[in-house]
Amino acid sequence: MSKKRERLEVIYDFLKIIQENHNSIKPTPLLRKTNLSSQSFNEYFQELLKKEFIKEIYDKNKKKYITLSDKGFHYLEKYKTILGFIDDFDL
Amino acid sequence: MMHNFLGKGFEAEFLYTFIVVVLCFLVYYKTKEIYELTKHQGIKYFRSAFLFFGLAYLSRFLLHIVILMGISFSFIISRRVMFLPVFTVPVTYLSTMAIFFLIYSTIWKKIKYKYFIILSNIIAISISVIAFCSKSLILISALQLLLLLITVVISTKDHRKTKKKYTRTLYFLISVLWLINLFLLSPGRILLFGSKIFFQAFSIIVFVVVYLKVLKWVK
Repeated sequence: MSKKRERLEVIYDFLKIIQENHNSIKPTPLLRKTNLSSQSFNEYFQELLKKEFIKEIYDKNKKKYITLSDKGFHYLEKYKTILGFIDDFDL
Repeated sequence: MMHNFLGKGFEAEFLYTFIVVVLCFLVYYKTKEIYELTKHQGIKYFRSAFLFFGLAYLSRFLLHIVILMGISFSFIISRRVMFLPVFTVPVTYLSTMAIFFLIYSTIWKKIKYKYFIILSNIIAISISVIAFCSKSLILISALQLLLLLITVVISTKDHRKTKKKYTRTLYFLISVLWLINLFLLSPGRILLFGSKIFFQAFSIIVFVVVYLKVLKWVK
């Protein structure tokens, strides 16, 4: 399996975990559930924030939560299409 | 009248170019969303290939008109000599890059990005300079065929175990059909009108198949 494919899958898993936690999860449990190293987690986290797939929100106690943006939900919806397309065209 | 000097087959040529260009641009447009979501390099090169093929077919059509004008107004041959090389350059550059992008979309994981862009541009510009100097579309077709064969060999070497032979055959057909198109554009290379229509119809079918394959995933 290619590195790029892994990257797309990691992003999918990352976003799926957030979605399955009622679209709201703290960074520490998210790190644990993604099974990534701290360094990799931070890289993906920053990338997804930059691409606006996820957002950081704060509750009234100023605790940070991670939530999906519309673009993040859209990626989850399109994931199978993306994989199918890449496989079909041998990209 | 413009119609008179453009001669028989012009309408078919116009229709053929129009359909192919529209299909190429549709492939480019339809894949925009999944590229923007993923920024996947393979999708990027795939899209670039069809964008460049669309532009190459457009510039080929302009070249076709220039050649027809040159034949019709042979008494002002110096104008043809001036304009033909100018129109040959974009056709050569765009099509060479399109072939490179199409092949590279399947082997991009093996070759570094910067290396590819620099190398492909150097080769495309070199062939364009040869096109400008030689004014020979046959020579350009031969050089692009050589280039295609080399890239196909490299591509096959890296993908011996691939199951996507059908897709690769489509890519190969797109490139080969382009080369035949360019070869036939050379003055003196006359194909029977019926044969040309058959060949162009086959070419359109290949582009339609690719477009339908894209539509299967991206609606």
